[in-house]
Amino acid sequence: MRRRALLLASPLLLLARPAAADLIFVLNSGDSSILVLDAATRQEVRRIPALREVHHLVMHPNGRDLLIADSGGNELLIVDPMTGEPRRRERVSNPYHLAFSPDGQHLVVCSLRRNQVDIYQASDLTLLARLRTPDKPSHMAFRPDSKIVYVTLQGTGTVIAISMETREPLWETPVGREPAGIIWHNDRLIVGIMGSDHFAVLNPVTKEIERQIPIGRGAHTIFAQPDGKALWATSRVQSRLAEIDPATLDVRRIIEISGGPDCITFEPDGHLWVTLRWAGRIARVDPRTGEYETNRVGRSPHGIFFQTVRAEQV
Amino acid sequence: MTETFTRFLDDITGWLFEHVVQPAMYALGLMDYAEDALDWVQFGLFGVFSILVVYVVCRPLEAWRPVEPVTDRRAIRTDILYTLLTRLGVLPLIAFVLLNSLSAWWAGTVADSGFVPPTLETLIPGLRDHPVWAFLLYAVVLDFGEYWRHRFQHRFAWWWALHSIHHAQRQMTFWTDDRNHILDEILAALWFGTIALLIGVPPGQFPLLVLVMRLAESLSHANVRLSFGSVGERLVVSPRFHRLHHGILSVAEMGKNYAVLFPVWDWIFGTADFRRDVFPRTGDPEGPEALATGGWLRQQWVGLKRMAGAIAGRSGA
Repeated sequence: MRRRALLLASPLLLLARPAAADLIFVLNSGDSSILVLDAATRQEVRRIPALREVHHLVMHPNGRDLLIADSGGNELLIVDPMTGEPRRRERVSNPYHLAFSPDGQHLVVCSLRRNQVDIYQASDLTLLARLRTPDKPSHMAFRPDSKIVYVTLQGTGTVIAISMETREPLWETPVGREPAGIIWHNDRLIVGIMGSDHFAVLNPVTKEIERQIPIGRGAHTIFAQPDGKALWATSRVQSRLAEIDPATLDVRRIIEISGGPDCITFEPDGHLWVTLRWAGRIARVDPRTGEYETNRVGRSPHGIFFQTVRAEQV
Repeated sequence: MTETFTRFLDDITGWLFEHVVQPAMYALGLMDYAEDALDWVQFGLFGVFSILVVYVVCRPLEAWRPVEPVTDRRAIRTDILYTLLTRLGVLPLIAFVLLNSLSAWWAGTVADSGFVPPTLETLIPGLRDHPVWAFLLYAVVLDFGEYWRHRFQHRFAWWWALHSIHHAQRQMTFWTDDRNHILDEILAALWFGTIALLIGVPPGQFPLLVLVMRLAESLSHANVRLSFGSVGERLVVSPRFHRLHHGILSVAEMGKNYAVLFPVWDWIFGTADFRRDVFPRTGDPEGPEALATGGWLRQQWVGLKRMAGAIAGRSGA
């Protein structure tokens, strides 16, 4: 009788269990590990050993696989974003920055140290083309129709446009000294000019730089807030986080944050999580007040990713 | 302890990089090399720390039971210069600048060939979850590579011409470990690079283990009457074991005890001498005096000339 009651009550018990915590994935590029944190308590949930040097990560269009690029280890580590459990590994030549085309058909991988851009078939990671490029292909952005990928070339101070149809370079244009992060925004490319103090707004049709967005020395990466109400940019030398108006591209405000802010991820409630490369920490930033708290995570943390778990389970 | 040490090193590295090195690189227009610079800062700081640790451990030992009295402080000062240039990153930095293009070209060529270099962890998947064991296995394999590089340094006349700088020191101390010709260091880097292509490079997150290994290498050159006992002598290269390798009757092809860290290679390949009571005088009686007592620059120049002579087939160059 008691057993039957327990069986009947079990679905209710399952519903009543504590909600699974949201997760933060932090790639410690300097100590070859991937730290998975409970976003609420900021306690370590798991630390996944990587082979050598993990820098960037991207969610597969299927929403079920998180791809982590280990450049020195020549592999992609594919993990379950809900648990941090490693699923499998793929041998890939020196993957540094990586992104899926918006149509989900292709995965493009930049190799900063081998001067190559690889185009893979997203479904099975078959290498379709390897383009030899000038010095240090760094970050990339796609045109929304997935027909062109734009890659910053850190060593030559240019952006190169590559056709995803012919898999050949279309053009290359100078943007400034040591360009790094790049995004597509309102038919323009916004490029972080690391050797300078601004982001350059590049018109990909005319290949002209239409304006500069000054944010501080060592302008590095830029991310769009998921609700589209702001762009957030980092400067690694002056150690700043800048909020940019997405319509006017004016800087709304600057948050001074020491430690070399680099990559950013967003929490659904609006908080930003930022890796602080030189401090070995991450910061959780309140965008309303500009206040932040930091946590030690590992050596030279670079890529970061927030995974909502609670909402997924409702 | 490992974590405390790593954090200590990381905190200083991060602060120095953020507040001193990076702003300077920005001002000089060198941000393209910012991440390499971070590695160099770490390398240099680790070098300072390792020199301190080696000094604190080895200097008292040398004062306690020296094999021979110190009679030539100038020769030791030259070795100190070698150590500073090597461990503070000056020579590796020069090599980086000179070889960076070559290295990028090589990496591209390898990638174009379709070959994706493996790692020991891909060859032995069980190592993935045990990075410390992976690191130690790398140390063993690389030490095996070092044993054979060392054999070849003694075997080929042109290579011996360079390596004899290391052996010319008659006043051997723990500072002698880094006494090498620049070209010899570059060859060592190429040797290492070739092995790395086959098995990958060791994980870099264990500075404490690297420190222990460096200490062992420096200690093996120390002017101290110390052996590790009948078992220990067969496990780790001791000052006694390595002094015999530097003995005046052990130069060039007559060498014994080539191992750098683990004597097992000498054991296996028949080049071991485990006599525990032998502490010979060191030096190369056939080498020119400049290699023993000349300054750093002179030794580099004479080494180069001797190598050219050896290649051209002239003896006694």
